[in-house]
Amino acid sequence: MAERMDDAARRALAALEDRLDERTAAYLNACVRCGLCADSCHVFLATGDPETIPAKKAERVARLYRRYHTLLGRIAPRFAGAEDASDEALDALATAAFGRCTVCGRCALHCSVGLDPAAILRFARLMAQAAGRVPKGIQASIDLARATGNNMGIAREDVIETLSWLEEDLRDTTGDASIQLPVDRPGARVYYVLNPRELKFFPLSISAAGMIFHAAGENWTLSSTDFDLTNYGMFAADEAAAGEFSGRIVRRAEELGVEELVVAECGHGYRALRWEAPEWLGRRLPFRVTSFVEVMARYLAEGRLALDPSRNPARVTLHDPCNLVRHGGVIEEQRRVLRAAVADFVEMTPNRLDNYCCGGGGGLLAASEHAAARLEAGRPKADQIRATGAKVVAAPCHNCIDQLGEINRHYKLGVEVKTIAEIVADALTTGGPG
Amino acid sequence: MPLTPSALVLAAALAVSAAAFVTLRRRLGRPLPAPFAEPRGSAAAGERWALTAAFLPWNKESSRHHAASYAAGLLLHTAIAAMVARLLWSLTGRPLPRPLELALAALLATGLACGLALFAKRLANPALRALSVPEDYAANLLVGAALAGGLAACLDPRALPAFQWIGAALALYAPLGKLRHMVFLVTSRRFWGRFFGRRGVKPAPPVAGEAPRG
Ligand code: SF4
Ligand code: SF4
Repeated sequence: MAERMDDAARRALAALEDRLDERTAAYLNACVRCGLCADSCHVFLATGDPETIPAKKAERVARLYRRYHTLLGRIAPRFAGAEDASDEALDALATAAFGRCTVCGRCALHCSVGLDPAAILRFARLMAQAAGRVPKGIQASIDLARATGNNMGIAREDVIETLSWLEEDLRDTTGDASIQLPVDRPGARVYYVLNPRELKFFPLSISAAGMIFHAAGENWTLSSTDFDLTNYGMFAADEAAAGEFSGRIVRRAEELGVEELVVAECGHGYRALRWEAPEWLGRRLPFRVTSFVEVMARYLAEGRLALDPSRNPARVTLHDPCNLVRHGGVIEEQRRVLRAAVADFVEMTPNRLDNYCCGGGGGLLAASEHAAARLEAGRPKADQIRATGAKVVAAPCHNCIDQLGEINRHYKLGVEVKTIAEIVADALTTGGPG
Repeated sequence: MPLTPSALVLAAALAVSAAAFVTLRRRLGRPLPAPFAEPRGSAAAGERWALTAAFLPWNKESSRHHAASYAAGLLLHTAIAAMVARLLWSLTGRPLPRPLELALAALLATGLACGLALFAKRLANPALRALSVPEDYAANLLVGAALAGGLAACLDPRALPAFQWIGAALALYAPLGKLRHMVFLVTSRRFWGRFFGRRGVKPAPPVAGEAPRG
């Protein structure tokens, strides 16, 4: 490592000193190391490795906290389970926080004491980030988003060209010449933001959203700039970057004067914009922030979408993205939509708040150094999917879709993975592909 | 009735311990600012749930999947609460009615057995051993000693001074190590409940046609 270790340690400890909030500190002081959270974590279930017990991972922070912030840890570190901020300690902290935890929050709902190990692990990321130990792929995504405005470096002209090509294709497929993918439309009520992967690799989900907005008669727009809903700053616990990325979208929404910012199907993007952005920016947002899943459920409730579930005859199961469900509170809407859109819907066991992470959350998909561990951690999810006998997995999150695609191949599940919008678009009886 | 030396030391230790806990809570960390994001659920409802229904054994996997540990932990902590109450009562210098002493003795004996069982589990289970630090064992033994002291004092009043000395040691040690959780458990649950309550996650929203979920 080029820089001197003690500089990194100093920065990590400064973060512990200055940034630790009373909630996380209370959690650090409340854990009794009972180990009862172990089998709540998909990583432990997949590996059986004691190092992956949620509390053991959280101990990476707790050991430093005790060493520098408690009397017992100062005078009897070995006895108290305290440790110096050595190179090894910081490496272990970064591996636990970025490589063995997706910050999915499942352990938080089941801790016997009632603390949130995931919050401690988010703080571990903050310390690791201060110590310069963010995985290269996550940091590269942050740097690219800073430099170009989106995490895939897509130029504005390419955005416009792709959307115009998609719009043409959509008109051909549906036979409806009035269907639009409006871009930078002044006076729109809704501003719809995307995951750049949709533009590059999954354009069908944009077309599906277009069909649904059209069928519902919505006044909506996409934007040729500031369209990237992802936030790798949040994954890295880099609040300056996270605030910068969400700030761009908030400013663009204000320029457009929209009433509602609708986040395409993406767990962390929803969490970042719905829950964290107001805190990073230090203000209330003058518009509503919703997930597209909520919007589809609302259109259905208002009778604005006509669906024929027989157009989706295959058995469909649902993956609950952690950031949408456990950290976002969007729990029932996706179920209401799927029940209306498919003929045979079956829940995974467990589901809703207890659903297992796909293994690729928390930015892990971008951390290639942890790719093998990520696939291994996907095993509980693969088992869940297999047990349903479903042919289609609906996943309202593009990150999850990538990971589910990989575990589909790795564990030979033989399923198709789709967004909910794609499934709904297939069931549309008005404005759909017919 | 004048306080005996052991009672005096116990009273002083309890006062020091209380002051230490107040200081620890005040210096816990950066105060959380009031949140700006529009709530989806109720922070107050989440906090209420965290402090009540969340303790019910069917509401968490940790209790559903580990019923024996849950039951042992519950009995141990009930016994600890009774032991602390007995310790505080001892400062009045008045005896308890004999049947109550005997009932208390039974509870403390059960709690002690549960504490020892959890101690043995920590030693025997490889994953739990990997998670443990030396202080975990020490704290468990210190609590065990206090329960044993309380048990002895319930059965024979001559053991009361020894119980008070152990109680004083426990009170002085509690703010230093893992026994802090006796105070921070409540603090944690309150923060936890407010966080998940605001987000509409807990208590879980009702599902049409199903019984309310935790
Ligand atoms: S269940 Fe909670 S208290 Fe027990 S070890 Fe896990 S995080 Fe700590
Ligand atoms: S947040 Fe998720 S991945 Fe991380 S320790 Fe908890 S259960 Fe495991």
